[in-house]
Amino acid sequence: MRLSFYPGCSLEGMASDYARSIDAVFRNLGIDLVEIEDWSCCGATAAHSISQTMSVLLPARNLAAAEKMGLDLVSPCAMCFNRLRFSQNMIKKKVFDIPWPVTGNVRVHDMTRFLAEPPMIKSIKERILRPLNGLRVVCYYGCQMVRPPKITGYTDYENPQTIDRIAAAAGAQVIDWSYKATCCGASIGIARREIGESLTRRILQKAQQAGAEAIVVSCPLCQSNLDMIQKDRSKRHTPVFYFTEMLRLSFEEHGDPKWFKMHFTDPVPLLRAKGLLS
Amino acid sequence: MQNIISGLNQAHENDSGEERKLIGDRGDYFLNRMQGETGVDISACYQCERCTNACPVSHFMDIKPHQAIRYVQLGWREDLIKSSTIWICLSCEMCTTYCPYEVEVAEIFNHLRNMAAHSSITPKEKSLAVFHQTFLEVLQKSGRVNEFRLMNTYYLKPDILHERIKNKTLKEDLLLGITLLRKGRLKLFTPKSKAIKEIKRVYSQTRGEIV
Repeated sequence: MRLSFYPGCSLEGMASDYARSIDAVFRNLGIDLVEIEDWSCCGATAAHSISQTMSVLLPARNLAAAEKMGLDLVSPCAMCFNRLRFSQNMIKKKVFDIPWPVTGNVRVHDMTRFLAEPPMIKSIKERILRPLNGLRVVCYYGCQMVRPPKITGYTDYENPQTIDRIAAAAGAQVIDWSYKATCCGASIGIARREIGESLTRRILQKAQQAGAEAIVVSCPLCQSNLDMIQKDRSKRHTPVFYFTEMLRLSFEEHGDPKWFKMHFTDPVPLLRAKGLLS
Repeated sequence: MQNIISGLNQAHENDSGEERKLIGDRGDYFLNRMQGETGVDISACYQCERCTNACPVSHFMDIKPHQAIRYVQLGWREDLIKSSTIWICLSCEMCTTYCPYEVEVAEIFNHLRNMAAHSSITPKEKSLAVFHQTFLEVLQKSGRVNEFRLMNTYYLKPDILHERIKNKTLKEDLLLGITLLRKGRLKLFTPKSKAIKEIKRVYSQTRGEIV
């Protein structure tokens, strides 16, 4: 199986560990990810805040490139996925003049939902060498992947299940909680720290109250927010994993502590205690 | 009726000390324009406040989301553009998702933000507005956004630098930056996209320049 892959800017910087784990997991699953040639940024929140035209045109350029490849598109970043879908909608409405040949008909998947389809779950289960037994996790989705449902196509936007299904397939014990899709503040923390921290801290607290030992996410910005807020807290640490990191851990016989060296909250002690890392 | 009018005007008077405005003295021009441009039926709003209750940051806003929709209906454009509300909004789309009448509140705020960005009014949340602007600047310089360059450019903006020095948070931010660099989370150099030229052209076209 081949898919075109739109990594997004974060995966080259803040989330390069996410990129490495995606690479390892998809190689293991035997799915070929072909990076879109010469992709450019989707514009994120800034583009749609300042200029609506840019927010449609920037993803459209990447959609045009993906259409040329003739493959389904998969995006690991929640924001990129949302913007690509949004742009597709606007292209079909024909509101803006787009300088590239694009029809908006390419299928855009978000990575979690692609891997949570029943056949993919089955092939994940077949490849698990070391199930993550006894690891209690909560899954956190954030906003952009599930909302607005008209654009993302999620019908269970109040209680999404995609990462839950993947984490359960990897053998982790998934805990149900109420803050799955509450906003973590995104980039507001850079300009107005107190707002960002109040939102992120609440999510962290609720995760700990639910009894989670780790949080599983799929969005680079959610990961860095939830991870960095714990940088100077000597109290209880709750590591924040990308869902592909969990998969990679269960796919390979011997995990490597080096995989997690970019995390602020070191997950190695927890994983060693559970016997998941030598 | 009198109560409703004074209730709506309360927030207003505190902010600017302006005279009381009468409901309906502006006509429907602004409402019609917003409805036309966003494709949202704004007049359907009947103030159930679900948007405000769903909003995770409503307590940081000066005009609450449901009030903002009422302001649009009344045509109070300037108050909206001057508000902190439109910049505080996270675009998390809770309001849009839970509105019983499908009034896309986040989309309306987004449109207002666009208007504010193209107006001469100084935004109330300058640091947030400058961040969005900086992001687009970096984006059109390299086609992709390098976080290291984004943060550098952002902190070197005179307004932001001044604010950080005044708040005494600059040292903390610098230390965080160093830790991020050491952890390898910030990369000094990342590949550029060859699309720079195309994007620059598109960007200047959207600002009305002739290319």
